[in-house]
Amino acid sequence: MKMELGLSVAKAMLKKAVEEARRLGKAFSIAIVDDRGWLVALHRMDGAPPPTAEIARDKAWTAASFRMPTAEVGSRYGDPKQPGFGLTPHDWNDRLTTLPGGIPVEVNGSVIGAVGVAGGTPEEDLRICRAALEGLSLKP
Amino acid sequence: MKELTLELALRMLEAAERWARDVAGFPCSIAVVDRSGALIAVHRMDGAAMATTDIAIEKAYTAVAWGMPTMLGSRWLDPRNVGQHIGDHALGMIGRGKGRLCLIPGGIPVTNEEGEIIGGIGCSGIPAGLGSINDTAVSQAGIVSLFED
Repeated sequence: MKMELGLSVAKAMLKKAVEEARRLGKAFSIAIVDDRGWLVALHRMDGAPPPTAEIARDKAWTAASFRMPTAEVGSRYGDPKQPGFGLTPHDWNDRLTTLPGGIPVEVNGSVIGAVGVAGGTPEEDLRICRAALEGLSLKP
Repeated sequence: MKELTLELALRMLEAAERWARDVAGFPCSIAVVDRSGALIAVHRMDGAAMATTDIAIEKAYTAVAWGMPTMLGSRWLDPRNVGQHIGDHALGMIGRGKGRLCLIPGGIPVTNEEGEIIGGIGCSGIPAGLGSINDTAVSQAGIVSLFED
């Protein structure tokens, strides 16, 4: 049966992500969405600028909807030689973003949701994303 | 308490979720915002509808923006008030604040011991018409947790 990304899973992922962020010594916003791109949980750490919350949510939404990391959406659909070129951030609820920092959550070959992170450099955001994925195994 | 931190917000969310699950028996979304109305944390409980997430955020935002529970705004919307200053005032609020003002009960400002507003909490997802089981009560459970022990 396909695993569901419910609130308990999301909390475990957020816990891991926040721990990693504290190790980095920076404040991030972290959003977890389910396989439909619907927000399950979002935490904005103390000191993270308010807009990062919406940006993190947009990244998670994009990664879940396209079933691929947000950075790949850019390289795939942002290339004039590729079909779909011309996607703009205004497509789909203003949520579409090609900023790096959103990755799908894949379990047993199927995408059950996505995590989006904002607040640091692209590398730092992705590092927090990967830390969140570690939380999957901690699921109660 | 000077301001709401993520830690305090999560304490409120845990308590509110517990109340929603164990007392109300309905899944819902609960959001906590800081004193500028900016989101700190939001949780959507398993089974709560998608729209509840944004409505919970809007309720928390509105509670801070108005400096009072959203329940008051919805009371003003009573059809008996239409045509009077208070009812027309409430009708005029609809769609204001870039569409973020929410005139549905369930959002409460969070005040500290000095009575200063340090944030807001909002809940959405509890069906209406169940008396004391309602969105506002879930938010209240969250606020109470701040002042325990």
